[in-house]
Amino acid sequence: MKRTGRFWIGGWMLTAWLAAAALLSGPWAPPAQAAEKPIKIGFGMALTGGLAANGKAALLSMQIWAEDVNAKGGLLGRKVDLVVYDDQTKPASVPAIYTKLLDVDKVDFVVSGYGTNLIAPAMPIVMERGLVFMGLFGLAVNEKFKYPGYFQIMPAGPEPALDWTRGFFEIAAQQKPKPQTVALVGADAEFAINAVAGARENAKKMGLKIVYDKTYPPATVDYTPIARAIKATNPDVVFVGSYPPDSVGMVQAAHEVGLKPKLFGGGMVGLQYAAFLTKLGPKLNGIVNYDFWVPEPTLNFPGIEAFLKKYQVKAAKAGVDPLGHYLPPWSYAYLEVLGQAVTATKSTDQKKVAGYIRSHEFTTIIGKVKFGSNGEWATSRVLQIQFQGIKDSKLDQFHRPGKRIVVYPEQWKSGKIQYPYSSAK
Amino acid sequence: MRGRTLLGVAVAVVIGGYLTTRFVSHGYFYFASYVILQYIMLATAWNILGGYTGYVNFGSAAFFAVGAYTSIVLIKAFKAYFIFLALAGGLASALLGLGIGYLTLRLRGVFFSIATLALAVVLQTAVINWGYVGGARGIYILRARSVPFFSSYTEFLFFMMVVFAVLSVAAAWWIENSWVGRGLAAIRDNEEAAECMGVPTLKLKLFATTVSGFFMGLAGAPFPYYVTYVEPSSAFNLDYAVNSLAMPMIGGTTSWAGPVVGAILLGAAQQIATVTISSAWNLLIVGVVLVAFVILAPEGLVGLALRLARKRGA
Repeated sequence: MKRTGRFWIGGWMLTAWLAAAALLSGPWAPPAQAAEKPIKIGFGMALTGGLAANGKAALLSMQIWAEDVNAKGGLLGRKVDLVVYDDQTKPASVPAIYTKLLDVDKVDFVVSGYGTNLIAPAMPIVMERGLVFMGLFGLAVNEKFKYPGYFQIMPAGPEPALDWTRGFFEIAAQQKPKPQTVALVGADAEFAINAVAGARENAKKMGLKIVYDKTYPPATVDYTPIARAIKATNPDVVFVGSYPPDSVGMVQAAHEVGLKPKLFGGGMVGLQYAAFLTKLGPKLNGIVNYDFWVPEPTLNFPGIEAFLKKYQVKAAKAGVDPLGHYLPPWSYAYLEVLGQAVTATKSTDQKKVAGYIRSHEFTTIIGKVKFGSNGEWATSRVLQIQFQGIKDSKLDQFHRPGKRIVVYPEQWKSGKIQYPYSSAK
Repeated sequence: MRGRTLLGVAVAVVIGGYLTTRFVSHGYFYFASYVILQYIMLATAWNILGGYTGYVNFGSAAFFAVGAYTSIVLIKAFKAYFIFLALAGGLASALLGLGIGYLTLRLRGVFFSIATLALAVVLQTAVINWGYVGGARGIYILRARSVPFFSSYTEFLFFMMVVFAVLSVAAAWWIENSWVGRGLAAIRDNEEAAECMGVPTLKLKLFATTVSGFFMGLAGAPFPYYVTYVEPSSAFNLDYAVNSLAMPMIGGTTSWAGPVVGAILLGAAQQIATVTISSAWNLLIVGVVLVAFVILAPEGLVGLALRLARKRGA
């Protein structure tokens, strides 16, 4: 009996497998469709796992885009449908999701999920089929793939790793007297390592002497020993490349040990989110950090205010980032680019749409977007902002201009830098 | 007779796998099957040590990642052929298994498990700090545009995984039905008694850790080509450790069929949940199912089926 039992299971498994294969190989003839079938845009998004907080916010703004477009009659007279699967912030789940979207759901376009790790695994699939692929906040994904159909919305610029930190060091170089020494510190993980590598090169270019250059494990809990070690080298500039939890840890540790360089910040992810802005409050004053959009008058692009209003109402209900200044406008914008290209070419042909995106400038809620040959922004628009005049931890103040002043680049500047760091408190 | 029939089934599965690539053009089918096949290998490999021998390994992810990173080194250094990568990945992981076995098998029960857990942490830290394989930054591995005999690289990967999975299940079957398996079972039931009866316990345990390591490494070796961008947290993902333990527990740990059934059921459930439920709920699947099985069917599905069959027969 025992033996037959096992064989039975084996046979059953084989049959099930063949059945599944047969089912999938069958004619997947699409049902007879009217010309008005919706345009489907598919993607995986981190709705659970490490990047879920941002992923959910991104999805919300993408849904707002679809609503806005559909309210105006859709694209090419067809309704827009978003097809989304949760990638669980796991790169290994991405290939299956994108092939499902393309082979089973028959989406017309795919766009990327959030972040480098989750964009890269979709690239070979997209490339095999020659699809246009909008990327959301990937850092230098296309460097190896060199795929002409890839366009990435984060404004890091043509040399992402270098451009990201250039502003911070140019600010340092403009100060008088010019700072002489720099400490570089970052998390031992993908983005931070890239950011610190870029910072290292920029520091050398600006002729700064590197007095501290170390990474820490991503799971670090106590940052005071790091802050103390940096303080011991007495640097003029401290560049930090960090992820949300460690950004908070570093700022708090710096205050605790009295680390007072002349310039502090650079590449700290997380200091753009409402949760951390309100958590750190006045401790943020004086920090100069990267950002992509802040509610300053120089960056008041048409449509952004209306978008944020809609977003903030929905965000309160959905329990995601209530400000929505960091990722949401960009996840709206990358669909805007795709939508505008579809409308302009009057086509869903991948090659035509990709060709149009490559050769045209787009007007979106985050300003004018033009892509360069590697699919990154033709010119960098990484801002450096300085936190100024924060008196308490209330969220309201961050809705308005005046708390996060753009100090770089010149084109978007909205105020003067308070220098040195300690004078801004 | 039985061995020959099984050999026939194994050959049929491999041929079936190849024929599938001739008729199915859906990329999704291949990627979803790839994941399930990968889990069949991991679960089977885990079961050789965990089910047959009774030594619970929490560090499957480390063995898997060693396979993956061995591939990466060989791709980077020599642009080596796929089959060499796979073998080297398996062998590196087998060596790791042997080494770990030698160092830690004197530890019993939970202490051995803790040591394997620590192994994953140590290796991950080492990889994070090893720039050549991408370190914490990760590394891109580009798939070849075309492969002979297959219309895409995905189909080739799928077919190789079919072959590897069949090999690992065959190895498990052989172990289970040979004197080795009886020796391992003796160790599981009572190690001291087995030793007294003349079972070469240390040698057998080393054999089990090595073979188990080999197949975990073999499962990990194609991973860089599957995902194309590898960074430590995805290669050392806790999922591999949890699933390779949960699948045999659900399927049944006493026979080769258990891990296979568990991997197919749980693997398919996870794949389906990813594209249907799309929420935090799917993360609960492994946990809830595992708890339910530990309580309701401690011998797993295969054990349950056999018990029912025996009852009916009696």
